[in-house]
Amino acid sequence: MEIVKDAVAGTLESSDALVRIGPSPEPGLHLTLESVVKAQFGEAIDQLARATLAQLGITQALIAIDDKGALACVLRARVQAAALRAAGKEPSEWSLPG
Amino acid sequence: MPVLFRRLFPGDERLTQLLPLLHQAGLRLEEDVEVMVVAYQQGRVVACGGLAGRVLKCIAIDPARRGEGLSLSLMTELITLAFERGRPELFLFTKPENHALFAASGFYPLAEVPGYLVLMENSPDRLRRHCARLRRQRQPGKRIGAIVMNANPFTLGHRWLVEQAAARCDWLHLLVVQEDASPFRYADRYPLIAQGTHGIRNLTLHPGSAYVISRATFPGYFLKDQGVVDICHSQIDLQLFRRYLAPALGITHRFVGTEPFCPLTAAYNRRMNALLAGPDGLWPPVEVVELPRLEVDGVPVSASRVRARLAAGDWDAVAALVPPTTLAFLQHAHRRETTPA
Amino acid sequence: MKLRRSMLFIPGANAAMLSTSFVYGADAVMFDLEDAVALREKDSARLLVFHALQHPFYQEVEKVVRINPLDTPFGLADLEAVVRAGVDIIRLPKTNGVEDVQQLEAEVARIEAACGREVGSTRLMAAIESAQGVVNAVAIARSSPRMVAIALAAFDYVMDMQTSRGDGSELFYARCAVLHAARVAGIAAYDVVWSDVNDDAGFLREVEQVRRLGFDGKSLVNPRQIALLHQAYAPTQQEVEYAREVVVAADEAARQGLGVISLNGKMIDGPIVLHAQRVLSRAAGGIRE
Repeated sequence: MEIVKDAVAGTLESSDALVRIGPSPEPGLHLTLESVVKAQFGEAIDQLARATLAQLGITQALIAIDDKGALACVLRARVQAAALRAAGKEPSEWSLPG
Repeated sequence: MPVLFRRLFPGDERLTQLLPLLHQAGLRLEEDVEVMVVAYQQGRVVACGGLAGRVLKCIAIDPARRGEGLSLSLMTELITLAFERGRPELFLFTKPENHALFAASGFYPLAEVPGYLVLMENSPDRLRRHCARLRRQRQPGKRIGAIVMNANPFTLGHRWLVEQAAARCDWLHLLVVQEDASPFRYADRYPLIAQGTHGIRNLTLHPGSAYVISRATFPGYFLKDQGVVDICHSQIDLQLFRRYLAPALGITHRFVGTEPFCPLTAAYNRRMNALLAGPDGLWPPVEVVELPRLEVDGVPVSASRVRARLAAGDWDAVAALVPPTTLAFLQHAHRRETTPA
Repeated sequence: MKLRRSMLFIPGANAAMLSTSFVYGADAVMFDLEDAVALREKDSARLLVFHALQHPFYQEVEKVVRINPLDTPFGLADLEAVVRAGVDIIRLPKTNGVEDVQQLEAEVARIEAACGREVGSTRLMAAIESAQGVVNAVAIARSSPRMVAIALAAFDYVMDMQTSRGDGSELFYARCAVLHAARVAGIAAYDVVWSDVNDDAGFLREVEQVRRLGFDGKSLVNPRQIALLHQAYAPTQQEVEYAREVVVAADEAARQGLGVISLNGKMIDGPIVLHAQRVLSRAAGGIRE
């Protein structure tokens, strides 16, 4: 899947995360992360985001995550939502693989 | 108590409800706001924020509602709105004491006038990455010059300035102002500058960015018509130049034309000297060199003069003030405008 | 015997609520993708719910999802997501007739087959939100072996009836119709949401009223309402003791291979035993004085 535009998903509210995804001029996933639990979970969040994007077949993107203590399932959902929006997928489609 | 968010557009009379809240925060409703996002609780306004281009502004929260996550909800709404309009790269100005709120919304400080104003953007490394790209365009030499140019339109005076500056440097970097606020759009100004400076060997033309005299980082510059002298904003613009852009390109000298007509630009030039060449921690100084303007018929050539002659339909005068490439463009544009559709 | 007293509405776009609502002890949670979710969040909320449905936290709770109607751009995608994610019950909004249920059932069966889920494992709940739905309630309640409950939803219904929410008299016929449909079909009946979360007295009055009518439970919008509701539905000590005696007598009769159950000289038939079992189920949620 290709990232063709900038998109955002989620919120800055507690237990949620704001995820922004956009096209990148270079190959690879360039990820910046802020989290209220950055010290303990920063690494885990980073890996979760990368794995989620890899599952969607995304290899080139700029990603910014503002995490407010979201559970892994919430993070995954927000990353997927932002990615699908950034890939131009219609909200009326169910586009997760498998 | 549930909070309801509504988007208000210019001209909506409900905007008057925001004035007390803004006033309390020391703000006013600015004219260039395209959309205001307003938070209501039980029918009362409890927070508001606006989007103007790439800038978030007029952000105010009812002090009685602080600490309820309301500000984060408002910021979420503003960011979502900006993304809907295709503006993922955002800036905002705020007082330094409000910095924490915006930090929690994903904004990072770029430049600050202590006690007065801080400029923030919604990325920890976008400016840094921009400078990394600039760094790839460094040129060797002891004297590396820079000109920041609007060229509205490009005149013989501009050509003169660039020639003079290039002759005094090993290399000259020309940074073009990107905002479409002037009568001539960036898409037209940039090619005119490129064509007009053709043949100058030691020159790099740089496309504009948000970091050099833009609405995002120097709004006062574009409010000149209203006589707004923006000391703080110009200080931030110059701080960005000195601490980020100049080091990336290795700039040692910044060239400006003497400003005969516009008092605001003249004041900006004076401030430029103080802020670029004066002491600023470990940041290397950038010498400001004022070059006398080209004169035609004893009068300095400037873009405003060209625009005035153009408005008067005085094509002879215009032809004497601009290079052939600019003249051709102006004539073509004039024909298009005056030809019946 | 599945208790269906409380069904807690959770807005599907609210990450914080999705992350915490399993702790409240509701009999069922209903993730809402329909009215609680703004248009621009439909896709994002669908993904949140898709993941929440699979989270260990929700394994023990009965999970309902209110999808968007199938004639909107979102309904089918909602269905694809939540059936795959293991939802227990699909709540179909604005069920007006048997065709609505049949259409839903066809799609659900298709998706179950496509994703390897046991066909028939996804249950249905019809939401009655209009005069037409009320009038067709019996047929709707009986229209599918998957149907486990029927719920009355007041907001759209009162608009359709050209009146407004008031003291409950505006819902009188609808409540009775939905309840009878549920009993005839052998499924559960849910009453409407009480939205004034600050008026506990009003809430309890309404609960008492619908409990007497025979409603199995109620849709809730605030976790605080759960305990209040369970308490109101709790049997009295006396009821519990009697129910225990009935069940013991029934077990005894079964053990002895007797065809007739007798308690204190009276004959106890099937419905009485069933009722006693229900009382004991509700007793698990607390006993009233």
